[in-house]
Amino acid sequence: MSMTKSQRRHTFSAFRYLVLTVWLTIVAFPMFWMVSTSFKPDREWFAWPPVYISENATLQNYLVVWADVSEYAVDETGNLETVAQSLQRPWTALGNSALISVISTTLTVLFGSVLAYGVSRYGILSEGRMFQLLMLRMVPPIVLIAPISIWYSALGLLDSITGLVMLYFLTTLPYAVWMSKSFIDEVPREMEQAAEILGASRMRTIWEVVLPLVRSGLVATFLFILILTWSEYLLALLLSKTAVVTLPVELSKYQGSTEGRIYGRQAALSVGITLPLIVVGLIIRKHLARGFSFGMVRR
Amino acid sequence: MSRIELVNLRKEYGNVVAVNSMDLTIEDGEFIVFVGPSGCGKTTTLRMIAGFEDPTAGNILINGEVVNEKEPGDRDLGMVFQSHALFPHKNVADNIAFGLRMKKVPQPEQARKVKEVSELVRITHLLGKMPAQCSGGESQRIALARTLVTEPSNFLLDEPLSSLDAKLRRELRAECDRLHDELQKTFVYVTHDQEEAMTLADRIVVMNQGLIVQMGSPMEIYSDPVSYFVADFFGNPAMNLVEGEFVAGASGLEFHCSQFNIPLPEKFKNTAPGKGSLGIRPENVTIGTTDGGASINSEIELVEPLGKDTLLYFGTEAVRPFVAVIEGTQEVKRHAKVDVGFPDEAIFLFAENGDRIR
Repeated sequence: MSMTKSQRRHTFSAFRYLVLTVWLTIVAFPMFWMVSTSFKPDREWFAWPPVYISENATLQNYLVVWADVSEYAVDETGNLETVAQSLQRPWTALGNSALISVISTTLTVLFGSVLAYGVSRYGILSEGRMFQLLMLRMVPPIVLIAPISIWYSALGLLDSITGLVMLYFLTTLPYAVWMSKSFIDEVPREMEQAAEILGASRMRTIWEVVLPLVRSGLVATFLFILILTWSEYLLALLLSKTAVVTLPVELSKYQGSTEGRIYGRQAALSVGITLPLIVVGLIIRKHLARGFSFGMVRR
Repeated sequence: MSRIELVNLRKEYGNVVAVNSMDLTIEDGEFIVFVGPSGCGKTTTLRMIAGFEDPTAGNILINGEVVNEKEPGDRDLGMVFQSHALFPHKNVADNIAFGLRMKKVPQPEQARKVKEVSELVRITHLLGKMPAQCSGGESQRIALARTLVTEPSNFLLDEPLSSLDAKLRRELRAECDRLHDELQKTFVYVTHDQEEAMTLADRIVVMNQGLIVQMGSPMEIYSDPVSYFVADFFGNPAMNLVEGEFVAGASGLEFHCSQFNIPLPEKFKNTAPGKGSLGIRPENVTIGTTDGGASINSEIELVEPLGKDTLLYFGTEAVRPFVAVIEGTQEVKRHAKVDVGFPDEAIFLFAENGDRIR
């Protein structure tokens, strides 16, 4: 019954890998399914037993969704093309999504980190206030929709990029403050004071000492909030109608009145939604590894 | 000419008084050491001089000018921190040049000065490295260089050596001493280590609970402590301090405690009887010889040879054992009974409140 120390270590390690493998499967399978479906011809979307990797792989879904090549459409889904064509073009939605999420995320991280610096160094918000800020996130967004719709319609902000940017800015600000504060707290005050006594102004100290040390953390915060905003559905759906449609809303429109969900097209669109995030993640991965490990300052 | 004056300086945090109405003048070129247990207010005082803490009351004058409202960078100060606080994203040369860059010194002069100062503290071989690649001792030298290079008239050092190991600490302590000799600038040094204070200071300021307890040269503090606290704080091994009672005996005042009773020297004859303590430094305790003074016969319970010296312990079951230092060459045996002598001139008495009785 008794195991040696190294046996125990090996058993534990094997167990850990088992758990991680199961977890990875759960997380990665929908991604796999999405990519796989996006290449399937329509008769395989609902096939049983399921088709995991299609032998009749086609680019049809991508062409219809992203290139508006309706003439390639298969006959029995002819009705489907009329649906797709009545939709706003996915490229416009992509443009809207990109504009809205990049602007609002930039604003959030900018204001959030400045606020976080104030909290960390000057205590401008008490601990209670900091938690109240977080409470904003505990309110289900659907509760906010009714009053915001009324205000927005009065202010002419419905169905506008500005309207969504403002709302995303406000709803993600708490995350930005909390995350960037944890990075700023990591920078020892003595380091700033060393700069100060050497004659650096406050702004200069922030620019030359604090910012380089929290940069990775801020990049991680940026990506986290970008993902939230990029994939936000509920607010975008309810506050936009026709003029400003974002990608997640666009995605929901691929649903025929008689055919049900048009899975292949949705999958092709989803791949298009996911890809930019993966690209951004790859570009900034050097920062992410350091940022998400919460601790780039050696003490 | 540089002079730091603290006038009625006071700092409160809520209800806690960290520094209590402090008056002190630090002369040009002086090496002054603030020493005391943690929480005594020494670091707070230093940080007020630096400008990182605003005094609750009182003034700080540097070169005769009140600097309370001046930014830390405008006070003609350099500071070395306990954590050395090097910028981890800049290499050593850029770290050192930082202050020069802030003061807009021209590039060629920056390079010349960085080279000069890194020769002074012997770190030229480190200039291209990142701080993370340097050892603790090297980092502290770099921090010194970064401060020295801007040529302030006053240096503030906040426990700069306390994160280093014993050998490095001795080495850098000597370095600080050498730099002070060479630069002839004012050094204000904070430490909780009495040995550092003794070895470095021209003048020691002993602090406790926000107050200056005693001020003076290291030898004054050592040989003439004003209170139980100071007597206890300085010296290694620490002064033997025995709690007991002063009792009027047949031939004058006597000291009675749980382990021994001895007559006290003539000069204490006017002292009122009552509770108090007797102190004697371990190196002043005589073993075997009893020339002029009381003595008791006691058993050596522990012998601790340190090479040059040997420590003898008596009464180890007491709250604090009684220690005597003898030369390492002397032969002593554990459990031997010896005469332990209290030379008259080596005896200190302290009243129950800790004040010295003279």
